[in-house]
Amino acid sequence: MKHLKLVLILFSLTACGQGEQAQQSTSIPFKASGDMKQTMEWVLDPAADHLWGSSGSIITAEGTKELAPTTEEEWMAVRHSALVVAETGNLLLMPSRTREGAAWQEMSLGLIEAGLLAEAAAKARDSEALFEAGAQLYRVCKSCHGVYIHESDSSPETGSP
Amino acid sequence: MNLKTMPLKQVSLKSLLAVAGLAAAAVLTVSLPAQLNAHHAFGAEFDANSPLLLRGSVTKIEWVNPHAWFHIEVTKEDGTPEAWRIEGGTPNTLLRRGINKRSIAIGTEIIVEGYQAKDRSNSANGRNITLANGKKMFMGSSGTGAPDDGADPSGQ
Repeated sequence: MKHLKLVLILFSLTACGQGEQAQQSTSIPFKASGDMKQTMEWVLDPAADHLWGSSGSIITAEGTKELAPTTEEEWMAVRHSALVVAETGNLLLMPSRTREGAAWQEMSLGLIEAGLLAEAAAKARDSEALFEAGAQLYRVCKSCHGVYIHESDSSPETGSP
Repeated sequence: MNLKTMPLKQVSLKSLLAVAGLAAAAVLTVSLPAQLNAHHAFGAEFDANSPLLLRGSVTKIEWVNPHAWFHIEVTKEDGTPEAWRIEGGTPNTLLRRGINKRSIAIGTEIIVEGYQAKDRSNSANGRNITLANGKKMFMGSSGTGAPDDGADPSGQ
């Protein structure tokens, strides 16, 4: 339920934003809630961690445990997290958060793509595809952090991702 | 010879050379401080000034994103066992280097070169892994801000 609310809020934010964007160009009165660090730590990270923790293998002397949701509710929760990841890509493209240059846009779109891949995998109950989507998600995270995070601006005050 | 939990800076060259398969020049490189990047980056969790050399048997492998984890049991100087968890690269990164989730069987003795966690827990970021047959592989990820210690063949 908590996940659903968050997804609905994110959808409202981005759907509303995109609709208005078509009409009003760049003068959209977005009011971002939370700085970049909060967006990363409070919105994206929990969703990404949920995706990453929902697939893979744990190997011990007792055998191999394949990680995967086992109930309808658990798969739906993964779909919710996947859409939070995807919609966070849209949040990063909002005027108040976006950065100059094509790389930011490309990586934000990459985040959306990875989230949508994970959502499709969860919808299909395909844990291997979910694992691959998780790998793609991390590649996007690492690429973006490699470009936009610097030691000097990683404090909460500056709100860097 | 049984390698214990030894901070690398305390290991003599002689003892290092006694460990089959270890390249002394590489492991003695106490490299530049890691770049402090972000939540998932090397510098957020691990100490570039605390290199470690661990030898132990594998007890558990977590083949998960964004990092695989190798759990080992190290025998301390006094003979008591000590559990350590070693962070590796992403599963896909490891696959490209020839390590899959079945490459290292549970119980296999390995040697790990890495860097201890900043909180001084028994957790480390793994750089090189050496198998019993002497085969040595880079087990980390490139571009995470880890020290440029020569372990990463991509040079990043």
